[in-house]
Amino acid sequence: MQLINKIIIFFVKEFKISIKNLSDLFTNIVFFFLSIFIFIFSIGPDKQVLSTFGIGILWALLLLSSTLSLKKYYHDDFNNGSLIIMHMGGLSYEFIAILKIISHFIFVQLPFLITIPIASLFVNLPYSKIILLLISFFIGSLVLSCLGSIAASMNLLNKRNFTLSSLIVMVFSIPVIIFSVGLAQSQENILSLLNILFAILLIFISISPWTSAVCIRLALANS
Amino acid sequence: MLGFLINPNKFNKLTDIILKPLFYLTAVIFLIGLILIYYSPNDYQQGSTVRIMYIHVPSAWLALLTYSIMTIYSIFALAFRIPFGFIINSAVAPIGAVFTLVCLVSGSLWGKPMWGTWWVWDARLTSVAILFIVYLIIIFINYSFEKIEVKEKIIAIFVVIGSINLPIIKFSVDWWNTLHQPASISKLSSPSIDPSMLKPLIAMTLAFTFIGLIIAILRIKTEIILRKKSI
Repeated sequence: MQLINKIIIFFVKEFKISIKNLSDLFTNIVFFFLSIFIFIFSIGPDKQVLSTFGIGILWALLLLSSTLSLKKYYHDDFNNGSLIIMHMGGLSYEFIAILKIISHFIFVQLPFLITIPIASLFVNLPYSKIILLLISFFIGSLVLSCLGSIAASMNLLNKRNFTLSSLIVMVFSIPVIIFSVGLAQSQENILSLLNILFAILLIFISISPWTSAVCIRLALANS
Repeated sequence: MLGFLINPNKFNKLTDIILKPLFYLTAVIFLIGLILIYYSPNDYQQGSTVRIMYIHVPSAWLALLTYSIMTIYSIFALAFRIPFGFIINSAVAPIGAVFTLVCLVSGSLWGKPMWGTWWVWDARLTSVAILFIVYLIIIFINYSFEKIEVKEKIIAIFVVIGSINLPIIKFSVDWWNTLHQPASISKLSSPSIDPSMLKPLIAMTLAFTFIGLIIAILRIKTEIILRKKSI
């Protein structure tokens, strides 16, 4: 019962912070849309071309705009001491990492899920593709949250170049990109690609809390 | 007996003895390899360009070998708190990056006359390119942290996670139907390569491995000296 209370308090806190920083979220979303526009300006507004490249463009830009919010992942909690307080309150660092992944998924990635149908209008996607894109993004964004947790916790003490964390996310997200774009563009073997995506998701869910906890402990011990 | 693998002092003592003979041995093997390449036959399809193989294959082998050594050392260093593993990680990563780059460049120079393009988005080529980027990220991490205790552990964690890529590189030619030819030397049954080409290839592989070993020893010695100085 106590644990559930703590979890609820955690999510209420995260919700309040994300409401306070709503302009950050909107900045990310506007970045996403603006980069779609720039992509279209650079390859030309041909409808046939756009509908073939559309899914790839959307996925790549979603990945890029989700790496923008990495600096917010653990840094504020780390700098104002909430991580230590939560740990003293009885939550282990692994559990904090899991909660953080879920809250990042809900408060940062899910708003993108709402904007995808609007964005896919610009690149002229057919209706059936949009549903597949939404499914693939729903699974893929959870993987991206896990990767973001790893990358952000690795770079907690990195004061020189924080761009490194986006590099780490992008390197490990290559299988996710391949299989989710494949899922969104496929006609027949949807189920097998979905299974592969779930397998990638399970791998990263099992790796990322432990890795993030190790990195957070390291950062707290050496800060 | 094997203490030099985890103890910096024993490593220093052993390599002080070994380094000079190893240097001469490498020079001799390298010369023998070059002579064997000169007298090796032309391929019936590829002509003289097949000789790029004698640089391409050893550097690819070394790129993978370096990463495997780094993975094993990082696991041991993280699990049993052996600081020598961290020294090896930061010393060896640039060597692996250079050999991967040599592999990529020689492969693309070989691909232009044979396949008609410099680059194909084929599974093996892509995974080796990702390996190169992973090496680069390791080097970047090495230069972007202030505290050495943080840096080394984060490199080790990153190396362990990035080792997912290794089996993908190794088996990519078997799993996917690619333009890159399948493994012909490390097949379990019998190598499907002619002995007249296998001999120079083995000589060059040995020579490249020893060259990598010499550079690694020098870099590890430098790293040990730097760490002693900073403490």
